[in-house]
Amino acid sequence: MDHTTEPLSEIPTGMRYYFGQEARRRRAVEATAMAVFDGWSYEEITTPTIDYYSLFEHGMGRAEAERAFRFTDNDGRLLALRPDVTSAAARAAATLFADRARPLRLCYAAPVFRERPQSHAEWRRESTQIGCELIGANTRVADLEVLAIVSEFLRRLDLEGNYSITLNDVGIFNGVAEGLKLDPTSREELRQLIDVRNAADLERFLASYVPARQAEAFAQLIQPSGKRESLDLARSVISNEQSRAALDGLESLWRILDSLSLTDCFEIDFGDVARLDYYTGLTFKIYVNGAGYRVGSGGRYDGLTATFGKAEPAVGFVVDLDALTDVLRVREGNSPSAHQLQLEKLELAGDENFAHSPGDPAALFLSALERRSRGERVSLSLAGKSTE
Amino acid sequence: MPELTIAVAKGRLQDATLALLASAGAGVSSQDVSSRRLAVEDESGRYRFIFVKSADVPVYVEHGIADCGIVGRDILLESGTDLLQPLTLEIGRCRLVVGAPTGKLLNELGMLRVATKYPRIAAAYFGARGRPVEIIELSGSVELAPGLGLADCIVDVVESGRTFRENGLKEVEVIEESTGRLVVNRASYQLKAKPIASLISSLRSEISDLKYGD
Repeated sequence: MDHTTEPLSEIPTGMRYYFGQEARRRRAVEATAMAVFDGWSYEEITTPTIDYYSLFEHGMGRAEAERAFRFTDNDGRLLALRPDVTSAAARAAATLFADRARPLRLCYAAPVFRERPQSHAEWRRESTQIGCELIGANTRVADLEVLAIVSEFLRRLDLEGNYSITLNDVGIFNGVAEGLKLDPTSREELRQLIDVRNAADLERFLASYVPARQAEAFAQLIQPSGKRESLDLARSVISNEQSRAALDGLESLWRILDSLSLTDCFEIDFGDVARLDYYTGLTFKIYVNGAGYRVGSGGRYDGLTATFGKAEPAVGFVVDLDALTDVLRVREGNSPSAHQLQLEKLELAGDENFAHSPGDPAALFLSALERRSRGERVSLSLAGKSTE
Repeated sequence: MPELTIAVAKGRLQDATLALLASAGAGVSSQDVSSRRLAVEDESGRYRFIFVKSADVPVYVEHGIADCGIVGRDILLESGTDLLQPLTLEIGRCRLVVGAPTGKLLNELGMLRVATKYPRIAAAYFGARGRPVEIIELSGSVELAPGLGLADCIVDVVESGRTFRENGLKEVEVIEESTGRLVVNRASYQLKAKPIASLISSLRSEISDLKYGD
């Protein structure tokens, strides 16, 4: 449809309002996350909404950064509406917080903007990211801390038994690709075949590099993810040093998760090979029943802060507030009692109007203020004679 | 409650898809197929099938409304969706080709007019070869376009080649070979790993035994 003038009722593509129950639910999810972060001693950081585009180009990689809304500053420099929080947090770690004791623990909940959404299913151009960064520690314990935080957060949202976190390590793919001496094009071809789990074509691809039997065994590794036994399977197929070291790392991580009885909601997924240029070790994806797209992801990115002048290890994760809120809304709809728990604090006492004498505003407010001081919810009746 | 929802493309691929699924243990009764209901369950109650237009299969699967689906690679490429493709199925084999009346691409004006139902694939194909094109998006009977002067050439799928011959078109270049693909939603692949793995493995053992032609 053509409009000769822009109708004022129009809303730009990918933008929306939030109100009522949904706005409360978002607030509650965010508050839950912030309480968990606080409990693990993470400090909230708010990064600039508008920043230099070059920050994101270096922080996220060009392919991701290019999806940002871009515009120019007075002096002609390219600016962007922040498409992520991590880039600016990493810059802060290397600059503002350069002299602070390590590790740095930072967390955030903030809207991010993308002019071009990631996929058809992800139509929003503004979404709220909740996440944290643990900077300055590259130990197994640091990786586990972040995973423990994700788990606690999802459990507090009453999603126990309804989420799955898949683990992988980029070292496994990188070791294999290096072992095969792939040029960048073939390497990307291999990555894509693994990424879409195309086992038959993967087997064909590998058969031109390794014996057929080995190619077949490798293709088995991208079957739907599994538990610890996947690691043994991988060890029987992969022999290069780099991949082995990554597998050992996952193994020791798994052993600890197991001793904490957390492995029910964890899987090993060698097929997760997204953003290999960004991550440097552990990677994970977060899936929740009822969401058709992953709700979050994370991992180790030891290369990131070096971009800003201070190389140090970092691990973190991000979840999409809207994706989580949608899942909670649907679950709430299915079993109204099941999910009231975490919204408890927001369930306010009745909102009936209370009796008052219309002629006496002072008495009305005295009563209202008294009820408010007890924490009750009031809603004044504004009917009556106009003051005009 | 069915374990998996499977999107089936109506039209060209439907019969072969249902035959393949039935042989893999996910059969729909013939009454259900001939009925006008667009969502039916298989006899075991493990699977729910939804019948949708082929171009909509990737959409339903990407949104996770269907956990998986069966769709031609041509449709999948055109959709630009982000889906897992664990199996290539031997059904609906066809070629995506560039067709023109003379058997070669006339380019006197420095600009080809291309009529197609596949604007994304056509733009990418010619774009990668540095050929400027004007894409004319049609929704059917694309083979008519060159003869009537709407376009210089077309990008379309060819199975037997009969429609091309009867409309005076020759295949100039092959863009892609296409067969049916099993596509799976990324979240379902993790969250419903068991039923999906079992569907994949029964389909895989079927296609290694049988070859389906069109």
